[in-house]
Amino acid sequence: MDNSAIQTLEAAAQVLMAPPNLVSSEQRHQAESVFLEFRSTKNPYQLCREILEKSNTDCVLFEGASLIKTALIREWNLLSADDISSLREYLLLYLLRREVPPYLKEKLLQTIAVIVKRGSINDGGRDRKALLEELEKIILSSPISQQKLACSLILSIMQEYAITVKSADVGLIWEIHFKLKKTFEGQDLKRIFRFTVGVLEQIVRSGHQPEGEQASLTKQLLTIVETVLCWNHVSPLLSKRLIGAFEAIYESDTAPALRLSLNWRDTIMQPELIALFFEIHMYVRNNPDLLNSSLTCLVQLASLSGVVVSASNLKQQYLENYVNSFVRILGFIQPSEREMLGISQIYRRLVQFFTATMIASTPPAFLQYLTTYTCHCIRGSVIEEGVNDDTVWRESLNKFLHTWSSLVHDADGFPNATLMSPCIEIFNTYLQCRLAPPDGTRGTEGSDGCNDDIKDDMEEDERQLHSNILLTIGAIARKAPAHCCHVLHTLLTDRSKRLESQLQLMHMGKMQNMNGGEQLVTLFEDLHWILMITGHFLALDCTEGETVIIPSELVEYSVAQNANVDASLRYLVGETTTTENVDDILKLVGEILRISSYECAALEAGLASVFSPELSATLSWLLKIWANAYLVLQPPQCSEVLEAAFGRGSRGVSWVVSLAARRAAATLRHLAAQPPAARHALALLATLAHPQHRENPLASCSEFLALVVWEMHGSNLPGDLRRELHRVFAIAATYAEGDERNRLLSSTVTLQHKLMNIINMESDTEPVRNMLADTLDCFIGVTEGVLEVGSIDEQFTLLMGALDKIPGIIFRYHNYPGVVLPALNLLAKSAKRMLHSVQLQNVTKFLEVCNATFEVYMRWNSGKISSIPQDAEEEAYEDICALMEVISSVSRCGAGCGAEAAWGAACARGLRLLLPLVTPPLLALPTLAARAYRMLRDLDQADQIINLPIEDFNMVITALRVGLTAVSCDVSTLCCDTIVGIANTVRSLGDDNAYAISLLSLAELLLMLIIKMEIPPDSIPAAGAAIYALTCVKPALLEGLARQLIEAYAVNDPANVPRLEESFRVLTNGVLFDGLRTHKLRFQDNFDKFLASVHGFLIVK
Amino acid sequence: MGDIEDTHFETGDSGASATFPMQCSALRKNGFVMLKGRPCKIVEMSTSKTGKHGHAKVHLVGIDIFNGKKYEDICPSTHNMDVPHVKREDYQLTDISDDGYLTLMADNGDLREDLKIPDGDLGTQLRSDFDSGKELLCTVLKSCGEECVIAVKANTALDK
Repeated sequence: MDNSAIQTLEAAAQVLMAPPNLVSSEQRHQAESVFLEFRSTKNPYQLCREILEKSNTDCVLFEGASLIKTALIREWNLLSADDISSLREYLLLYLLRREVPPYLKEKLLQTIAVIVKRGSINDGGRDRKALLEELEKIILSSPISQQKLACSLILSIMQEYAITVKSADVGLIWEIHFKLKKTFEGQDLKRIFRFTVGVLEQIVRSGHQPEGEQASLTKQLLTIVETVLCWNHVSPLLSKRLIGAFEAIYESDTAPALRLSLNWRDTIMQPELIALFFEIHMYVRNNPDLLNSSLTCLVQLASLSGVVVSASNLKQQYLENYVNSFVRILGFIQPSEREMLGISQIYRRLVQFFTATMIASTPPAFLQYLTTYTCHCIRGSVIEEGVNDDTVWRESLNKFLHTWSSLVHDADGFPNATLMSPCIEIFNTYLQCRLAPPDGTRGTEGSDGCNDDIKDDMEEDERQLHSNILLTIGAIARKAPAHCCHVLHTLLTDRSKRLESQLQLMHMGKMQNMNGGEQLVTLFEDLHWILMITGHFLALDCTEGETVIIPSELVEYSVAQNANVDASLRYLVGETTTTENVDDILKLVGEILRISSYECAALEAGLASVFSPELSATLSWLLKIWANAYLVLQPPQCSEVLEAAFGRGSRGVSWVVSLAARRAAATLRHLAAQPPAARHALALLATLAHPQHRENPLASCSEFLALVVWEMHGSNLPGDLRRELHRVFAIAATYAEGDERNRLLSSTVTLQHKLMNIINMESDTEPVRNMLADTLDCFIGVTEGVLEVGSIDEQFTLLMGALDKIPGIIFRYHNYPGVVLPALNLLAKSAKRMLHSVQLQNVTKFLEVCNATFEVYMRWNSGKISSIPQDAEEEAYEDICALMEVISSVSRCGAGCGAEAAWGAACARGLRLLLPLVTPPLLALPTLAARAYRMLRDLDQADQIINLPIEDFNMVITALRVGLTAVSCDVSTLCCDTIVGIANTVRSLGDDNAYAISLLSLAELLLMLIIKMEIPPDSIPAAGAAIYALTCVKPALLEGLARQLIEAYAVNDPANVPRLEESFRVLTNGVLFDGLRTHKLRFQDNFDKFLASVHGFLIVK
Repeated sequence: MGDIEDTHFETGDSGASATFPMQCSALRKNGFVMLKGRPCKIVEMSTSKTGKHGHAKVHLVGIDIFNGKKYEDICPSTHNMDVPHVKREDYQLTDISDDGYLTLMADNGDLREDLKIPDGDLGTQLRSDFDSGKELLCTVLKSCGEECVIAVKANTALDK
């Protein structure tokens, strides 16, 4: 009989594997159903054994092996202990006896591991211990193929115990998974480690080279050790969610630190152990397959922490031991790329996990090798940039720089005198790699990247791209300020002279474009890098809004120089070129400003087409981060020179600000068509306008006011730049007073006039519409600027003048999406950014505008059919996103402002009009779906959904139904959260209310989705909460659904009915559906158990 | 774009010019531009440059506003591109002749009968909606001497 079953399966497998032209789809379906039926076979163990023994078909063998595993999980409770252990023995023997293909071996090993793990619930790990003993014997004395198999089984068992939260082994609740893991950890992990290390020692000492079979056994053993060292020793005191997060790290590339408990002390503290691991590394380092594992072990050992080394002398002792072995092997080897990455990780971990004082007491070779290798990686990574997509050198460099970052910032570590010379070496190396010959080596090895076609939008901003590395290079450089100031100043002076003369030649037309062009590009690239390095040396590149001060090392350096204040100031403003007695920091700033003014002059002289936009961007960026740090109120211990130059109300500040404003204006006038240059010029202006610069000289700066006038008279800038410019004006206006303020506000007043003019114009042409769209965009800039610094009613009133016009604009220009979208965006941005901080009467007015806009938009757009559907969809997508943002913002601001009814009405109205527009194809777009469901959740949190008329409420429920079945975790979770919210509100209305009935119709779908695991796993907790909330509305609900489900099973699968009944009993055990927290939590617990048991026997994957 | 008071605009209708020039960097997404001699709506704009210190070029992707066909072009950001004058006007549909011409009424009551029923799904929908007695509003797109119905909607404006 079994034979015939196997034959049927083999025949079906043949059909499935056959090429499509040989079998009909009906035959294929039939074959599939054979396997589907096979998978649900009850008590299939004998049959599967027969298959394993007799069948030669891969597919059938695999199905048989899989079935053993699933059936075991499903029927565990029904099987006797003897059956199980004989099955396990059989499987192990089967694997030992013959050569099995990898896919089958994997499956069978996993099955044995599952048996071991589940068996250990009852026998406390006795059986596992026996098995491990057996495997150890095999490893010590059997043929090498069996040794490898034993290693694989040990690994499978470890894998099975390692993961608890996301364990695919269904049928157990998480608490049990976790308990099992902890017991395994306590009983067997150390034993596995010691045994394996012992075997590795024998191999290393045997003198055989790691080749062929021997190498692959070594690999297996190393992997076991690696897994032990990367093991996630999680504290049982943490919550399940945190443990889940830890386990996610475990699965990622970076393993957690090696945190060991006390009982590991005898093993891990043995001095020979560390030496052995380095010996193992030396043994395998030439074999790329083995290298990674041995490096990971060393990296893990470098992160030893936890109770095992709680006494600091133990820790110190361990570190000394480790570093001695480490430095010894570094003396022997020339690290390869891969090895370098491992070494950089070892350094990183040592510095991270041992105190700065301990690190400072390491032998000098430790720091020497670190310096040499960092420089080596700098060179490697610069070459790598130009050559290929590999990032090995860059990764290593990043790790080394992280290490340096800790070293230079920690006051308890190495003394400054020790760090000085390594820091100079690293700084010089980096600089050399970035400069063209003769000063540096750029471009001598491969391309320097200056002439390739670059796609702007794809690549990150150049300054952003290197900021991580430069940040640390800057910090390293500040450890040797005298040297670095001198070098940078010399380079800047030299290049600025060259720039000046080249530009002059250009201006006089004496330079041929071809030849001069190349020279100029080299000069631009040199300057670009020198300025980037100088920028990171002088200040920290922080995000806007953070308060940054002058780095303390530089202040100390400036104090120590005690330079002449007058001479320094005269040099700064360019009145003299003598550097005698001039403060070094001011020398650098003065030179930067000089270069900036050359650029400015060149642009004004009509050389915009030859000047590098990239260099212009770098200059703006440098001035921005410099202004951010130097133009704020400095702490009292600031040096006399810096105080005199950039302190409150000093001559230097207004001079610098007007210079910076002038160059930003020049950039905008002449390089507006170059995105990075224009963007950074505007960012510079925004920084200067920002409120952290009290007594802001920008507002009174004539260059800046000229910019305002220029824009008022039609600046010809592209729309996005004008928008940003108006944002800057709005920020500056908020902080100015009196006349200055009025002058700045006049930019908004002019915008308003412009808008009125356009609206009142008879002619409706493309240029007019473009201008309208631009003007609306500028108003968005105003909105953004006002909000950033705390909105004020005066500016809001000005804005209201524009917002007021939106319904009319949409009415007139409804056929022109280029106008409609900016109008809607203006409304959305204003709602989002300023609504919550203006007075009530303004709010009411704003809501009226929203209502009118919705009406007009719907009037022209509902039910519209277009000849180019994709295009219409794209337009609708953007419009709807903006409209949803309006509704969301309004609902969020509405709560607790006193006029809830008006807010609610506006939201409900908006939603009612919007729902029919959100068509299924639009909802299928993930970003739109996420936004739509977030809006529903926001509305629900503001208690607005329940205010909808019942027809619209039903539409929301339909939308939720669609959302629940979406595959995205975000959307499912949002839907469940929304259901909980609605349920909590609806509950008070009684379960026969129309709203309640509509809402409860979701319960069945939700329960089925959960049971069939069709809801994303991360949404499961939210789904449980939703089921609870729904049952609170109608306590009989869950019971009814359970009965329905059980009845359905009674027909198809009567055997499982008692188990299902039991599961439902567990679910409601001890829970009251009163909505109180205690019961909600108890339900969540029960829900987990319910899922574990139901998924254990209902699912046939 | 110059100040509004001192700018004189050509109107698309006068027949003087079907397009006007605009600096490439000032074009915006969803705006119009001529690509390969066809009036297009810009659906994608990105910039690139030759070499790190080179000047920006704008890469434009547009779809033909009449037939949805995709066109691409690349242009230095400081150069000018032609922008078509585009008009989209709504007409009320009053009749469909036997030979497939639409009778359309403008806001001011003027009638025109020079446009054919559009091709494809839109045409089919238009005819069936009209036959079932719906009040229909047709959007007529006009640019570069071409003209056709590009969208239809049931006229809810009438009942307000």
